[in-house]
Amino acid sequence: MSDSPIASVERGVALRLEGVRRVFDNQLVVIDDFNLSIDAGEFLAVLGPSGCGKSTLLRMIAGLSPPDAGRIVTDPPVFQTAFVFQDAHLLPWRSVLDNAALPLELMGVAREERYSKTHAALKQVGLEDAEARYPSQLSGGMRMRVSLARALVTEPRLLLMDEPFAALDEITRFHLEVQLRELWKLRGMTVIFVTHSISEAAFLANRAIVLARRKGNIKLDRKLELPVERSNSLRSDPRLGEEMNRLMSAMEEE
Amino acid sequence: MTRRCFCAACAAGTLFASCGKPASNQKTLRLALNWKPDPQFGGFYAAPYRKQGLDVEILPGGAGTPTVQMIGAGSAEFGIVSADELVVARARGNDVVALFAVFQNCPQGIMAHASRHLTSVGDVVKEGTLAIQRGLPYARILEKKYGFDHVKVVPSPGGDISAFLRDEKFAQQCFVMSEPLQARHAGAEVTVFPVADIGYNPYTTVLATSSAQLKSDPKSAAAMVAAVREGWRAYLNDPESTNKKMHDLNPSMDAAAFAEVAEAQKPFIECAQLGAMTAERWTTLIGQLKDLGDIPRAMPAQDCFRVL
Amino acid sequence: MLKKLLPPLIPFVVVTLTLEWMVRAGVVAGYLVPAPSAVFRALLDNRDELAAAMAKTSAGALVGFALSTLSGIVIAVLLSSSRVIQKSFYPYAVFFQTVPIIAIAPLLVIWFGYGMKTVIASAFIVSIFPVIANTLQGLLSTDPALRDLFRLYGASSTVTLVKLRFPAALPQILTGLRVASGLAVIGAIVGEFIGGAGLGSVVDVARTQQRVDKVFAAVLLASVLGLGLFGLINLISTVTLRRWHASEQETI
Repeated sequence: MSDSPIASVERGVALRLEGVRRVFDNQLVVIDDFNLSIDAGEFLAVLGPSGCGKSTLLRMIAGLSPPDAGRIVTDPPVFQTAFVFQDAHLLPWRSVLDNAALPLELMGVAREERYSKTHAALKQVGLEDAEARYPSQLSGGMRMRVSLARALVTEPRLLLMDEPFAALDEITRFHLEVQLRELWKLRGMTVIFVTHSISEAAFLANRAIVLARRKGNIKLDRKLELPVERSNSLRSDPRLGEEMNRLMSAMEEE
Repeated sequence: MTRRCFCAACAAGTLFASCGKPASNQKTLRLALNWKPDPQFGGFYAAPYRKQGLDVEILPGGAGTPTVQMIGAGSAEFGIVSADELVVARARGNDVVALFAVFQNCPQGIMAHASRHLTSVGDVVKEGTLAIQRGLPYARILEKKYGFDHVKVVPSPGGDISAFLRDEKFAQQCFVMSEPLQARHAGAEVTVFPVADIGYNPYTTVLATSSAQLKSDPKSAAAMVAAVREGWRAYLNDPESTNKKMHDLNPSMDAAAFAEVAEAQKPFIECAQLGAMTAERWTTLIGQLKDLGDIPRAMPAQDCFRVL
Repeated sequence: MLKKLLPPLIPFVVVTLTLEWMVRAGVVAGYLVPAPSAVFRALLDNRDELAAAMAKTSAGALVGFALSTLSGIVIAVLLSSSRVIQKSFYPYAVFFQTVPIIAIAPLLVIWFGYGMKTVIASAFIVSIFPVIANTLQGLLSTDPALRDLFRLYGASSTVTLVKLRFPAALPQILTGLRVASGLAVIGAIVGEFIGGAGLGSVVDVARTQQRVDKVFAAVLLASVLGLGLFGLINLISTVTLRRWHASEQETI
């Protein structure tokens, strides 16, 4: 049973990873015997040092690279996935509107419907006035918001995010974190959020796992005891600090 | 200018500080050819340069080798040019002079397939394709006389007869003792019209040098002419060993072809004194070039050649 | 407008004046290098002949260039579609780069005859390789994250080519076209040496007549043609890349 505020069984995805293994170049075992259950509508943060396989895990869940052993079971079996990268990765020759509309365009959605959905998504991230601009005219934070809108435009049931805010300045980060949380509450999709930042993980997620340096073993799997409402005021709340400490010790122990 | 001063100036100006020394010196004289080594240069390869105290390096050429400019610019002390080319060069301010004319009569001509039954050179321009170097004076005399309205004029393929063999209506510029023989070997009967038929007959394969070179080292120039004269005499008498030397340098022509061409070119070269030139011939040529508009005004024939 | 033209114009004026002085003072022989005034006079005196020749060379170079652009891009797209194809056939594309055009031009005459076809063929052969090489490089350099994105949304490889790989490769393609444009002019002129007509023929005939001034006049016009083509590519580059590529944007 997830603790997200909306009945999100219809709007999220439940996943189960069983014995998942991934090897690179026939030698380097990045993930080995990985088991994890994720409830529909959960906001899961994945923490761990560089090279521990977090991004690989995400790509396997997205279906971009298959596991070498084990399986990933999902409920429902087929659904819309969205992926947000660390770099916004926008198409520089397209306007903000056409960038955000890209997934719908690739899926063959008709023009009018495509654009109306895109307008809505851009409005949700606060970019409705920037639709005609080009990526080279945007700040880093704005570009990330376009990337976010692009991810949301297909109303995905699974949202995968690989350190999306890592390259942004702190104020923009805080802002986007709050916005992301709001969007999640509104839509109820399952979010798997990979990050380096303990404070970010604690602030955003309702559950966090910490992966070990090698083979992706799970060192800590914790339901964060934090309020459902997350505003910037939480950042100075001692409860956040406590959760952060727990996560930090898990990360530090070998 | 004292001798010492002159020498100092030479030493400063050139790499070869040979001024003031006797003619039998170490300076290498470069002779630039305007084509690949073949029988038209036989006498130059047979010449006894060492005997005359000369160290001569022969530089083989190819299509478009700018021998007359090379002499003028000093990148070769001697070069092979055609008489008309020399007159035009002089008119452009390039002070070069002729010393020895190998071909007393111009061996250039136009070759056509015998099956066309053409009787005069004017027939060649009535139809078909004519491959010539359009910039040459003879070509323009031809155009002036007969007009090129009915013939397609294309660039000369320079010794390559493949286009000629493929097309019956194809006529091309040739050296009378060269391409026609090649064509006959390939099974094609040809008619050859010498350029002299239109009244144009410049000395060809002429040994030339710059006035400056001649002034600075007249002994070497005289020795050169002597050696070349002897070489041509020897080559005309017996071309075999020299042909072998040239064939090694130019394998594109086989040994049999070398022998054949050496024999066929003899009538154009043989005369009382090999290489000799007359003022009258030069005057005629100068007049023709002036009429064509290739040179702005006539020049004295004596300026164009030297007897050494 | 003047601001843009002034920087390249100044060296030109300086060199021209220096050369003029050098020839007049006898430092350089006028029959080896013509005085700029002589070249200018040759341009005027022969303007009809030169204009007609330039029109012919332009046609040959343009058609050859258009063909090499189209073919080059198509070949690059094919080469980029699979590793195996690329490894098997790319070395043969390099052949176009290395073959000495002077050597094969007589062969071209055999296949295409005397005239425009040979000129176009020559321009094509000489200019195609940079198009292939640069286009291929551009197509192979697509951002892997974006390719993943396209895969995620189920885009076919054709759609990915048209909507992602090709636009992303555009700056690189245009670089290739810039190089190829000048080469197409060179190729056309070489073709004309062998096949007749155009500026190549003017150069060949004038050279035989020892008219260096006319040679240089024709060469100058050939350069103008090359510059024109180059400018055309730059214009296309500005229009297509203006909004998104750093190369066409003003630095702040």
